[in-house]
This record gives sequence, structure tokens and C-alpha cells, in this order.
Amino acid sequence: MKTVFTAILVLALLSLTGTAQDLSGNINIQGSSTVQPISNKAKELFNAVHGKVNISVGGEGTGNGFKALASGECDISGASRPIKKKELDKVNAAGIKFVEVPVAYDGLTIVVNPENDFIKSLTVKQLQLIFREDYAAKTWKDVDASWPAEKISLYIPGSASGTFDYFKEVIGKKDGKTLRTDEQVQDSEDDKMLVTGVKGEKYAIGFFGYSYYDANRDGLRAIPIVNPKTEKAVTPSIETIKSGEYAPFSRPLFVYVNTKSYEKLEVEEYVVFMFDNLSKIVEAAGYVPLPEAVVTAAQDNVDAGNTGTHFVDKEGEKRSGALESVFVPENRAGQ
Amino acid sequence: MANDYYSNPKKESGRKLKSNVFAMVCLVISSLAVVILITLLATIFISGGSWLNWEFLSGVHKEDNPEGSGIGQAVLGSALICLLCASVAIPIGIGTAIFLEEFQPRNKILRSLHGLVQLNISNLAGVPSIVYGILGLTTFVYLFNLVPSIQVNKPIPWEVGATHFYQTKTLGRTFVKFPAGDREETSIKLTQNEMCVDADGNTFELKLVDKRSEAPKDPELKKGYALRGRSASRLTERSPWYFHLPLGKSLLSAALTLALVILPIVIISSQEAIRAVPRSIREAAFGMGATRWQVVRKTVLPAATPGIMTGAILSMSRAIGEAAPVLAVMGGVLGTTSGIKSLMDQTPVLPVTIYRWAGDENAGFENASSAAIIVLLGVLLIMNSIAILLRNRYEKKLS
Repeated sequence: MKTVFTAILVLALLSLTGTAQDLSGNINIQGSSTVQPISNKAKELFNAVHGKVNISVGGEGTGNGFKALASGECDISGASRPIKKKELDKVNAAGIKFVEVPVAYDGLTIVVNPENDFIKSLTVKQLQLIFREDYAAKTWKDVDASWPAEKISLYIPGSASGTFDYFKEVIGKKDGKTLRTDEQVQDSEDDKMLVTGVKGEKYAIGFFGYSYYDANRDGLRAIPIVNPKTEKAVTPSIETIKSGEYAPFSRPLFVYVNTKSYEKLEVEEYVVFMFDNLSKIVEAAGYVPLPEAVVTAAQDNVDAGNTGTHFVDKEGEKRSGALESVFVPENRAGQ
Repeated sequence: MANDYYSNPKKESGRKLKSNVFAMVCLVISSLAVVILITLLATIFISGGSWLNWEFLSGVHKEDNPEGSGIGQAVLGSALICLLCASVAIPIGIGTAIFLEEFQPRNKILRSLHGLVQLNISNLAGVPSIVYGILGLTTFVYLFNLVPSIQVNKPIPWEVGATHFYQTKTLGRTFVKFPAGDREETSIKLTQNEMCVDADGNTFELKLVDKRSEAPKDPELKKGYALRGRSASRLTERSPWYFHLPLGKSLLSAALTLALVILPIVIISSQEAIRAVPRSIREAAFGMGATRWQVVRKTVLPAATPGIMTGAILSMSRAIGEAAPVLAVMGGVLGTTSGIKSLMDQTPVLPVTIYRWAGDENAGFENASSAAIIVLLGVLLIMNSIAILLRNRYEKKLS
């Protein structure tokens, strides 16, 4: 009886606001698996307000995301690196325009076993000795004479991941070198395997995204990295990644919004909602929020429909450097 | 001499020893398999057993919240896909088996064709399921690119059961919709007043203004006004029989792909069942003057039904446990906002949910994954038991 009464009451209330319609539609998001947690969180919060909008979030990788953007299969594409010249050409050839939106910082974390007490910090040079194919140090003694002559075991992400690409770029780009692949190396596409590996071996070292380290702190020790500019060793944390002290291992994450899709009401509402709640979403996903100025600049680009990337210059060369210095209006090459 | 071997007691004992050692090796290997199975089951039950409750069975996937997540949508999705898959694969499979066993052509060319089909089916049964996944992707999802593929900002090439509207936002921050008529763009700019339909089906006019200041101040009245040039996006309301071509990444594509996976199994097991029907029954029927079709319909099929059903159920339990082809065809969907509304929707299924949860960085999802494994194992156990029961019950009557 009581439920019937409640139902009638609800119906009566509904008829008063009869003209109201729910926002509905479909949003297709694809791209990097690193950006996926951000999109998933945004989806969850957005659906709590607009329950009738179907959002599908895929994570097949940054490269596949740009492919989907170029073939018109997705409205929004997540990326753990900026678009490359080749990908840009494909998107342009398809006549598709996009707005580039940085959404968060991700700090790459280098971890060892907690029982390893001889490493206090690491420099980029030392990391090159450990991880690069041309140095490929056999024992810890080869890296620093005061360290034990024990064999190094390396746990690194699979070569298809954005994390691998990013690490390779930092320690080997200038000399065109890549990471070593000898019998001391274990690689896995599954970050879980890397965590288990480093947890289980005293003389192991590995790396993955900061959010993954943050979720698996037990049994791991994050190594402070010496900032090449200030020469101070900095431990990765939300604060140090945000302030840019934790260099050179923090990277920006992006979403690329198809401008034609942005004309759709549901996509517009979603993107506006994402901006309004960006720091909350980013922190819940385990990443580090961007500086206010970058977010505002990105939001202005979306509002004004300023298309194109900031990371490829006129000659087709890649721009690199800190996000704040690259993500400025004069670097944007409109489509 | 050959006889020496048997009469020599020394060699005799060596022979017995060999036999005993071999028996021991067999025992160890088989018990190893059992131990591994028990360990596996024990770990799964320890990590997932306590998660099994009604909330888990009926809930949906929630990001970052393994305790609150559930497999309701996945169970429903698996059941529906399995049903669709069976309704396609079983009739075709049985038909093919009857053709191969009972209607063997006499013509030489036709006979070699018959042999070719038989050879193909035997080989297809061993093809890995991911290959079927890629086949399904080209065949159903993209329809061999015969029609343009489905894109987010283009109208769907061919569809039935859809009503199109445009939705837009009023100055009162509410959402309204109006019929699309024959406009096909995914988004348009408002240029004229539109007759909108509200949630109760009543119509009212949405008036356009050039500036916000031209609209009434009253927040209620503002709901009837919108800015000229505001964009409106196309909205498709789908009826339950909604259908489009190409099939896209839909649950129908997944079901049809799984039907391809199990088709060879259905055919081969049905053939076995038909072959097990004694020749004498057929000959008796022929002797009574029955045509070939009457023989098949009235004698062979009824006698073979239990065997065919057993094979069909076993193949369905294969379909319900497949993850790879579903991942290839539908992607790794974990949950949808609106649930299943038509065959063109996507849906999570049990094996994909298990796969995605097991790899999630949030450790809680590992337990949820184990609980989902228990459910899947339970379903498989029930299906296989039904198959065994059917077999035992009707086996004796045949002979």
C-alpha cells in the first residue's frame, strides 16, 4: 500500500515538471590506457548527473586512439603523449579537426625493493648505465663503485606501452639508443608483473606510472631522482610532480576532442563538466592536476574552437620541453 | 629365442617392474593435474567466495569501487548472447549434419563437394577462437566494408526502428527535443522556431532570440527560449527491434561470431549422434516405403535428439566461456549506462568482465574477478550436468 502511494506521489511530482527532458546521446572515448582512469572517473561523475548519456571508454593505446580519431570512430581520444607528425597528417587527410586538451600530469616512478638500502638517489646518467642497451651494467658495482657487486634484475613495461616510450625518450633520445633487452631484463605489458618482480628480489629495479606506484606502495620504494637543473634529489609525490621539481620523469596526459563532435550537445556538456571537475577527477584517478593557467588556456581553446596541436612545429619537428612553455597560443598550428 | 624372454625369470621381473614404474608415473601425473585443479579452485574460492551475495550477482561495474561492483549486466549479457548464438548455430549445425550424414549425393562432382565440406568442418573445429573473432570483425562489424562504416559524426548507413530528434539546451538550462524530420546531420544550428515534444508527449514551441536579454526574465518561461545559432545534436530513440547495417560493435555481432565458433562443434557432435542411430532402423523405415525425408524426420532425428542436445549444450557452454572473440568484436565493455535496449547495444559478458577485473590495478577487483569465476564455473557445471543427464537418460533406450 505504502509503495503504491509513493508511486502516485512521484508520478504527481513528475507531471509538474513535465517539460523537462533528460540529456541523452552517445559519447565514444578511445585511446591510451593511461588516460582511461581519468575518462572512467569523468564518466562516472557525469553519469551521476546525466544518467541517460551512454559513454563508452576504451583503452587500446595512444596510437590506436589517434587512428580512431582519424577514422571518425571516436568523439574523444585519450593520449599519454602529444600527437606525432604522421598521425597529424592522417587526421588532416581525413578532414577531421580537433582541440588539444592537456588534462593531467603523470609521474614516472622508478622503484626498488625496500631491502635495498644502498641506493639513496639516482641520476639520469646512472639510469642510463642501468637501463640503456649500450651501457647495460651487469652489477650494481658497475653503476657506483660503493654499491655491492650483485647482479641487477630489471623489470620494465612492454615496448608497446606509452610508459616505455616515455622512459626511452628521456634516457636515450639524444643518442638514438633504446632500452636493453638482455637476459637480466624481464618485460611485461602487465604492470602487476613488474610490481611482483620488484617486490620479490632484493637487487631488482623497475619503473611504471606514478598512479600505479601509489596504489601499490607496500613492498616498493620509490627512488628520488636527481633533477638535472637544480641537482637536487627529488622523491616523486603529488606535490613534486605538480611543481615540476620531479624532473625529467613527469609527463602531461591529453585528450583530443573532435570539433565536429563538440557540436553535439552531449559531448559539449561532457567536456564542460570535465573542465569544471578536472582536479577532482584527476586526483581520484591517481594523477596530478595541471597548473591553473594551462587548464584555463585549454578551456579557452575549446570555447573558441582553436584547433590543432602545439607540439608539432611548421617544419614537422616535434616540440619538447615543459608543458607551460610549449602549450602557449603562439605554438599552436591551426588546422 | 623368442620363448626365452618369457621363461627367463630375471627378464620377467624386469618387465613387471617396468609396468609398475609406468603405472606409478601415470598416477603421479594424473594426481598432479588433480592437485593443480584443487589448488586453483581453492584459491578462487578463498579470494572470491565471501564476495558472492545478491548485491554482487545483481549489481553493475563501478570504477574504483570493487566492493560495490556486481555482475548483473554481465550475467544478463552472457545469457542473451548465448541464447542468440544457440538459436543461430544449432539449427544450421543440425541441418548441416543431416545433410552430411543422410543426404550423401551420388553425382561425382557433388560428392567431392560433400567431401570438401566435411574436411573443412573437421579442420574448422581446431581453429583458435581469436581467428573467428577477426573473421567476425570483418564479416559482421564492418560487413566487408560493403557499406560505409559507422562513424560518430555521420548518420548510420541503414537503420530501422529508429526515431530521430534533435536535442538542444534552452536558456532555462533545460534540455528539449524536437523531431528531426528529414534532416540527417549529427548537429545543426538553430535557425527557426521548432515544435518541441516534452516528456509527456505534449508539444510546445521553442522560440529563438538573438540575445539573452531578449528572453523573459522568469526562469520558468526561459525554458521556452533558446539562442539563435545554438547547436542542436541528433538524437536517436531506439525501439526494441532497432537494427542497423553494418552491425557495428553490437551484441548481435558478438552472438553471430560465437555462433561461428561453435558451429563446427555442433555439426560434428550432431553427426556422431546421427551416425549412432542403428542402420536397421533406417532400413526398416525405407522398407515401409518412407521417403528419405520421412526417414530422417520420423526415425533418425527422434533417435538422435538426446545425442544432438548433449552436443548442443556442451557447445553452448563453450560459447558462454569465450572471451577472445567477444573482445575482438565488441571490445572490453565492463558496463553500460542504459543496459540492453536492443540487439544493437553493447553489453558486458562474464568472461570479458573476469579478464578486465583480473588485470585491474585496484587489487579489490581481483577478488571480484574470482567471485565472477565461481559464478561462471557454476553455470558451466550446471550446463554440463544437464548434458550428462540427458545422455545417461536416453542412451539405453537407443540400443
